[in-house]
Amino acid sequence: MTVGIPRTTRREGLVDWSLWMAVIGLMAVGAAFILSATGAADEAANRPWWRYRVVGQIGADVIGLLLVAVLCLIDYARLARWSLVAYWLSILLLLGVALFGVSRLGAKRWLDFGVFQFQPSELAKLAFLFALGNFLTRPANELDSPLLFGQALGMALLPFLLILKQPDLGSALVFLPIALVMMLVAGVPRRFLVRFMTGTFLVATLLLVDVLYAPPGWHFLQLEDYQKQRLLVYFGLDFAKPDATPAERLAARAEQESKSYNVRQSLISVGSGGVLGKGWREGTQSALGYLPRAVAHNDFIFSVIAEERGFLGSLLVLLLYAVVLFSGIRIASQARDRLGRLLAAGVVTLLFTHIFINIGMNIRLVPVTGIPLPLLSAGGTSVICSLIAIGILQNIHFHRRHY
Amino acid sequence: MLIFDQLNKGDQSLRLLAWGVLAGLLVLLGGLWKVQVLSGSTYREQQQTQSFRTVRVPAIRGRILDRSGQEFARNTPQYRLDLYLDELRPQFDRQYTEGRKALIASRQPPAAAKARTFWDLLPGRFRRNASGVRLTSGELELLRRQSRFAVVSNVVAEVGRRLRLPLQVSEQALHHHYLTKRALPLPILSHCTPEQVALITEQSWNLPGVELDQVPIRQYPHPGLAVHVVGHLKRDDDHDEEDGRFNYRLRDYRGGLGLEAAFDKELRGVPGARSILVNSAGYRHRQGERMIAQPQPGLDLITTLDLDLQVAVEQALGAVAGDERGAVVVLDPRTGDLLAMASAPRFDAAEFIEGVPTQRWKDFYLAEPARPTMNRATLGQYAPGSTFKIIDAVALLEAGLDPRTVLSVQADPENPAKGRYLLGRRSIGDTAPPGAYDFRRAFIRSSNSYFIDHSLRLGWERLLSWGARFGLGQKTGIGIAEERGDFPTLDAVEERGWNSGNLANVSIGQQITLTPLQLAVAVGAVANGGTVFWPRLVDRLEPQNPLASTPIIRFPARQVRTQIQARPETFNVIRAAMRDDVLDPEGTGRAARIEGFEICGKTGTAEIKGNGRKDKVTWFASFAPFEAPRYVVIVMVESGASGGGTCAPVARRIYEHLHRREQRPERQLALQEGMP
Repeated sequence: MTVGIPRTTRREGLVDWSLWMAVIGLMAVGAAFILSATGAADEAANRPWWRYRVVGQIGADVIGLLLVAVLCLIDYARLARWSLVAYWLSILLLLGVALFGVSRLGAKRWLDFGVFQFQPSELAKLAFLFALGNFLTRPANELDSPLLFGQALGMALLPFLLILKQPDLGSALVFLPIALVMMLVAGVPRRFLVRFMTGTFLVATLLLVDVLYAPPGWHFLQLEDYQKQRLLVYFGLDFAKPDATPAERLAARAEQESKSYNVRQSLISVGSGGVLGKGWREGTQSALGYLPRAVAHNDFIFSVIAEERGFLGSLLVLLLYAVVLFSGIRIASQARDRLGRLLAAGVVTLLFTHIFINIGMNIRLVPVTGIPLPLLSAGGTSVICSLIAIGILQNIHFHRRHY
Repeated sequence: MLIFDQLNKGDQSLRLLAWGVLAGLLVLLGGLWKVQVLSGSTYREQQQTQSFRTVRVPAIRGRILDRSGQEFARNTPQYRLDLYLDELRPQFDRQYTEGRKALIASRQPPAAAKARTFWDLLPGRFRRNASGVRLTSGELELLRRQSRFAVVSNVVAEVGRRLRLPLQVSEQALHHHYLTKRALPLPILSHCTPEQVALITEQSWNLPGVELDQVPIRQYPHPGLAVHVVGHLKRDDDHDEEDGRFNYRLRDYRGGLGLEAAFDKELRGVPGARSILVNSAGYRHRQGERMIAQPQPGLDLITTLDLDLQVAVEQALGAVAGDERGAVVVLDPRTGDLLAMASAPRFDAAEFIEGVPTQRWKDFYLAEPARPTMNRATLGQYAPGSTFKIIDAVALLEAGLDPRTVLSVQADPENPAKGRYLLGRRSIGDTAPPGAYDFRRAFIRSSNSYFIDHSLRLGWERLLSWGARFGLGQKTGIGIAEERGDFPTLDAVEERGWNSGNLANVSIGQQITLTPLQLAVAVGAVANGGTVFWPRLVDRLEPQNPLASTPIIRFPARQVRTQIQARPETFNVIRAAMRDDVLDPEGTGRAARIEGFEICGKTGTAEIKGNGRKDKVTWFASFAPFEAPRYVVIVMVESGASGGGTCAPVARRIYEHLHRREQRPERQLALQEGMP
């Protein structure tokens, strides 16, 4: 293994241009609409220009790109050797969050380093991806062992449970499809995967029924109130308990109104954009605060884009993501080894899960969870981790012919 | 798909992943298609309902002008000090945060009682919860309400301090405004004097949210002048059908009397609409105000009145006595145009704009018998007394009475200086002395005996039909509120079972009533030789902006109601008799006489019994000049001494004014188009 630019006769194949064009395009879209969602407020708050949130985002973009450039110089196989260290480090950080984390909106997800705040769950996803990839690059016949399957599953469940405890159901759930897809691509016998999926499905259904319909005192899973309410909102169920008094019912009604508010407003934002949208910075939903200002530029950035650029804008965003995702799959298929294949497939799944859950919650396809939209949502950790993930793809592409 | 071709045939797992990704993206695309394309309009509607408020904006009301363009009613900018609550939001939040801290501190157990733990030594952000105090949402809501009030009352107090005014805002009023009109400014001083405006604009004002707004307000430049004709405005807060689409209404007015009421629709114009963008908290968004429909200004109303004459008329009427009640009508007998119309007592229409205080309403406006808001010229129904003899005379002369026929009137045994008329066993007293009366003398001495005697021979039918021809008992069609008076038809007379005694009474103007305006129209017909006009008060309605495309609505003059078929000789005799009534030293109307202007008149004093006591209505019905009548002047004073003593001098003053201005050709009573 060497460090540096691989010697190759075909230099034009070094950078996956279609991938990076799409990535740059997404970052530009993200910056434009973060400005749209926060510019007026930043201006009103008389912040200096370097404290504008869009400037922060562009800064994170640049840092991310620099990290990617550095990471690409090191062969992914070399990086993968450190994967277990990174994995356990991220587990440690998650434990640190549980102990010293900063609470925001009722959930502890951040570590405060004074200068910046950091969300270890994002890093944990990447570390897990590497670790699992590394773990699964053993000869195919070893993968038949149920023990090995159990170990792989355990690697996923440890961060899953820690993040679930924060609580951050959305981020936790991302681990399951990543594990599933990587095991599928690695060649773990289908029967294990089918069993795993069936089991997950059954447990999830049971838990859902338990959460939604079980009488008080029978709850096996103790969800946070807000989590339960999000699920109730999503399934359109009454907040009120069956034995509630009329007054309680009324209170629950008001609570429901306010809790379904975000979902309703994001739907109104997306829907009122229509086909062509209202024009950049012309959207009213976030400017007037109907789409809460705290989330408009991060978790609900897609609503802002869809309102101001309409269905055509949404289509463009989906197309850019499609380019990124299918480039990733192509890179996986062209990877020089199993590790590259596994990592690329994992990254594609990671990105896709984020995209699906985030856009889905903007149009009430999935319940609301605090999952950012890769490269578009404001948030340094998310942007840098997304770029690192894409950097892994580039790394695999970069080193595809270097045997 | 390109990507699928590139994948190896054997690379099943990656193909599966690619299909999965594609399916997921298509699901998202389908969902977006449904939300944005199929249901787009529904969501757009929802977005608009939640973020727009429409405000009804009243149009500028049309002015009311005299025939030469002088203003009876106009609009003037009123400066109002408004407080825009949305500008105070940061202060509300600050106040609320501090209030909450204070509240939490007050609930916490004293510091000494609390054991200091390890966690207390750490900087704040590591501490789990700064306090264990929980506040209910009700408490927090109350705190918000109190914070708003604290901030607003501070600002208002500061404004008051700077303007040296005791300004206040009540907690209830603010909360009501907050709940119902959050997107609109809160008015804190509805009427700023020019001094205050200067203070506000000159001083580096610098108070957040306090702004000077300009609203047009009705102004009557001559308080009380022609107030019964012009009318007044009152607050109009009714929500009629067409307004259902507005969230808010700005203060509007509607006419409550006179022309303001009769032509309310035309004067008012069409209200416009403004849309206000509101944020999720219901406050106005800074740059979000937009006119979505311009109000269309109301039309200017040009009356046939003459403002200078109106002033003279009201001065003349006011000179009678302190608390006189009366009316004057001045009409052009050639056209039917009203030149002046006054009713006393007057009132100030401006009082109604802000609303009349209850006590003032009781003490002044409801006072009997003054009733200041009543237009006595059109709504007052009075027995005409001897002025009715003018019409009676037409009937008698047309029935063939020879004006030279002499009737001898006996003296009243109880009062030998006065005559009397014996009707069967009933004796009807006369104010004229006994003696021999031909028509002329009977008219100028106002001999009741003469007119009763001849009218009894004339009979009900002819007397009533002549009265009807002059428009008595019918509305004049003036356009503002009026009464028809009581002048019975033949059927009504039979129904009432009236006998010759009643006929005698009616012939001298008792037991019937008419309005001063009706009398003016009738006297006008005598003056002009038999043309009964529809009297005209409004000349035209024209747009305030001369460039506007709205057509001018004209009400033509000289609208003939009835052409009375009578011999010219009849009118000549009566006109001459009316001239002599003023000219002859023996005439009852001699007090109206002026040099160089031949005034023709007839006095009247009607006895009325009301509320168990006797009262009088005094009249002077006249026209001038004799040769070519241009003016009809009717003066009526309630509880006057006599027609000749009370009303004739009022008419004289009016004629003096008319005569004076006729000497100055530039001030002719000509209708001018447009502005003076």
